[in-house]
Amino acid sequence: MKITQREKQGAVILDLNGKLTGGPDADVFRKLFEGLIEQGKKQIVVNLEKVSWINSTGLGILIHNYSSVRSAGGDLVVMGASERIESILYVTKLNLLFKSFENEEDAVKSFGQVSH
Amino acid sequence: MVKTNQVEQMTVTIPSDLKYLGAVDAAVQDLARELLFSQDAINDLGTALIEACSNAIEHGNKFSPDKRVTVSLRFHEGRLTAAVKDEGRGFDFEKAMSEEPDPDPTSERGRGILIMRAFTDGLNFSYDGGLICELTKLRDGSASAE
Repeated sequence: MKITQREKQGAVILDLNGKLTGGPDADVFRKLFEGLIEQGKKQIVVNLEKVSWINSTGLGILIHNYSSVRSAGGDLVVMGASERIESILYVTKLNLLFKSFENEEDAVKSFGQVSH
Repeated sequence: MVKTNQVEQMTVTIPSDLKYLGAVDAAVQDLARELLFSQDAINDLGTALIEACSNAIEHGNKFSPDKRVTVSLRFHEGRLTAAVKDEGRGFDFEKAMSEEPDPDPTSERGRGILIMRAFTDGLNFSYDGGLICELTKLRDGSASAE
C-alpha cells in the first residue's frame, strides 16, 4: 500500500492507495502515524478513495491509529470510502467510531479549523 | 443460461502473500458474475473471501513462503461455496464462533468472524491437515444456508 501525505487548512491528509490488509505495509502506516503525533499533527484525515479493500487487520490498524491520536488530544476522520468499505464499517459498528465524509472539504472542515 | 443441476467448480492456489488477494477476488467476482449473482452479492462474497484468505495467510500460514492457501469454489443449485484451506494448525473455532463480539469499539481485534458472517449466508470451520473456512453465498438470498 502506498501512502502520500499533504496538508490542508491545518489538517494532515493521508492518501492511501492499495489494500489496507496488514502485513509490512501496515507497519509503515502505523509508524507514519506515530511520527505525525510526535510532530504535534493531531488533525488527520485518512483518504480511502483509492483503497480497494480493508480486512479485519486493516481495521485494527485504523482503530489503533485512531486511539493514538485521540489519546494525544486530536482526531482522525476518514473520507472517500467506497460502498464496499462503508458496509464493512457499518457491519462492525465502526461507523459509530470514525466520522466518515464523502469529500475532502467536509472532512477538513470537521476539525473546525479556519485557514489563514 | 446456467442449468439448475449444473455443478461449477474451480480451485485457486496462492502463496502466503497478501498481494495475491487480488487474484482471488478477481476470480470469484468473475465466476459469480457468470453465474448471475447480483453485484451486491458478489461484493459481499468478495469481502468475506478476502477476510478468510487474509486469515489463512497471516494466522494459518504465518506468511510462510513454503505454505499455500487453496480456495475451492463450488456452485450448485443457486449456492456458491468457497472453501479456504491453509496449512496451519487451526484454532479453537468452536469457541470463536460461540463468543459474542467484543463490545469495546476500540478493540483492535476480533472482527474477522463478524465480517465473514455478516457478508455470507453461511460460515463453517473444520480441520483436515489445515484449517478450512467455508463460506456460502446464495444467489437469491432467500433461504438459509445453515
